[in-house]
Amino acid sequence: MSAEPADDHSTAEDPRPATYYHLAKAVLYREYLIFVRYPANAIGGIVISLFFFGLLFYGGRMIAGQALTDSIEGIIVGYFLWTLAVGAYSSISNDIGSEVQWGTLERHIMTPFGFAPVALLKGVAKVVRTFLTSALILAVMLLLTDTALQLPLVTTTVVSALAICSVLGLGFAAGGIAVLYKRISNWLNFLQFGFILLISAPAFDLGWARLLPLALGSSMLQRAMIDGTRLWEFPLLDLVTLVAVAVGYVLAGYAVFEAATRRARRLGVLGDY
Amino acid sequence: MPVFLFAGDKRRTMTTQEPPTPRTAQQSAADPSTETDDQALVVEGLSKRFGSGEAAVTAVDDVSFSVERGSVVGLLGPNGAGKTTTIKSVLGMVLPDTGSVRVEGIDVYDRPRKAYRHVDAMLEGARNDYWRLTVRENLRYFATISGVDPDSVADRHERLLDQLDLTDKADEAVRSLSRGMKQKVSLASVLATDASVVFLDEPTLGLDVESSLTLRRELRRIVAERDLTVVLSSHDMDVIEDVCDRVIIMNDGRVIADDSVEELLRQPEASRFRVASPDIDERLRERIGERFTVTDTSVTDGATRIEVATDSAGFYDLVDLLRADGVTLESVTTPDPDLEDVFLGLTNGAGDTRDTDGDAR
Repeated sequence: MSAEPADDHSTAEDPRPATYYHLAKAVLYREYLIFVRYPANAIGGIVISLFFFGLLFYGGRMIAGQALTDSIEGIIVGYFLWTLAVGAYSSISNDIGSEVQWGTLERHIMTPFGFAPVALLKGVAKVVRTFLTSALILAVMLLLTDTALQLPLVTTTVVSALAICSVLGLGFAAGGIAVLYKRISNWLNFLQFGFILLISAPAFDLGWARLLPLALGSSMLQRAMIDGTRLWEFPLLDLVTLVAVAVGYVLAGYAVFEAATRRARRLGVLGDY
Repeated sequence: MPVFLFAGDKRRTMTTQEPPTPRTAQQSAADPSTETDDQALVVEGLSKRFGSGEAAVTAVDDVSFSVERGSVVGLLGPNGAGKTTTIKSVLGMVLPDTGSVRVEGIDVYDRPRKAYRHVDAMLEGARNDYWRLTVRENLRYFATISGVDPDSVADRHERLLDQLDLTDKADEAVRSLSRGMKQKVSLASVLATDASVVFLDEPTLGLDVESSLTLRRELRRIVAERDLTVVLSSHDMDVIEDVCDRVIIMNDGRVIADDSVEELLRQPEASRFRVASPDIDERLRERIGERFTVTDTSVTDGATRIEVATDSAGFYDLVDLLRADGVTLESVTTPDPDLEDVFLGLTNGAGDTRDTDGDAR
């Protein structure tokens, strides 16, 4: 399926219209190139994440002793989800800020595909990249603490991906606000610490907490990775709520981004930084 | 006949040195009301104000023009004239208060996705591309984003790299290139798409003379090869004269002149008279400055030389003024006009081409 029907503006070469396949390939390939060509950021993120986990684990064990060891599985799952959430959120919101500075945001808005699919694909690329780094962090955490977790691949992937979708929505909203108010992204990064509260919210005990981003996904991921609960073993309502929350936050975040960029265009500040 | 558009109290009738075939407003290149199939871009009644109340600034004021397919149109204006805001409004990056823009007959505001298939832009002061990707990767990426399968334009990309002397650097990351090279990559990434209408805001900014000449030459060649329509904004008059078929001059957010370079050079605004006399003192210089647009003043060997931008009628007024003051003229010369003279004359000297654009945006 092409973005728009081919038109009659053609040259001797007869350029073919790009399809969404081409778009996805271009966006994902760019992310891959940046990832493999400039690994310092990813490695730095992994090292910092592991350093803080080491502090948490060894420091906590000195203070809390066996109590911490008893709950280490929950801490590892929560920390894994937190690194995923932080990676996805900051890469989306910071990426939008960078695109504004580079003057490339305008070119992505001026695409015949529409900005939404481009932004979504960029979001997917960020999540995939974050999954790779977080998986590595998870493996090191398990080795470091000599802990074993259940890793049902489909369940873990689906639940954590849906949980991260809500964070993507927050990332879009933060990116939109950064487009409008410029150098605010450092403040928006503080939101990352709020993710700790969301991840530890008792979503199964508090009905309303299920509607918060990350909360239900975190609880379901704990059950999947600690208790071995499979995707089809969760109550249907929980699965539907997880999907609805994911889609809802992505749509709401994108709506905020759209509204912010529209206002930026009205104020004439879209490309200014 | 050249078309001069003066809004509000600046409206006046212009005369030309030769009376060419009369061209009515409806026939003019500047009038978009007679949209034809040949017009790639039609801008009508574009206005944009920033801010509100007393602090409000009118950046673009009822701007209308059209651009024929395959032509290169220069957008000239002093700082704050509204060039960049006009370009961004045409692209939909700034939402205007009023007005409409059609690219290849498609309304940019009503059907942006369809319109964007035909448009790309290199905006001033922006990288416009990814410095961590190589030159070739940028061309492929932005071709795809603009809606073209990059494999189908691979040959075009190779030609483009060759034309802009980028072949040797094609597989290097853009961040490792010189500023001039980066500027070329930015241009290449815009030309790598299948856009038929291209906006180039200060494309030669930061380039050395040789690079600028190469870029101008290749730009003309590429435009001719691909029947591109280009709207080019630049402070460099040489670039405008070299590359553009037509020039739109803006001042205070309005279009004040719209014609070919040749026609503009024939305008009274291009006309210069240089008078020299030892009798011209400071007081008289001030009086001349109050009545005429003085483009140059110098004192050499005790004689004051004053160059004024005026037509022949204005010159006689100047002579009358000097005679009334008992001035004996040592010499009168008429320097060859250039586009900068026209520009300064039309903008009443407001256009300082050496500065960067400080448009409200």
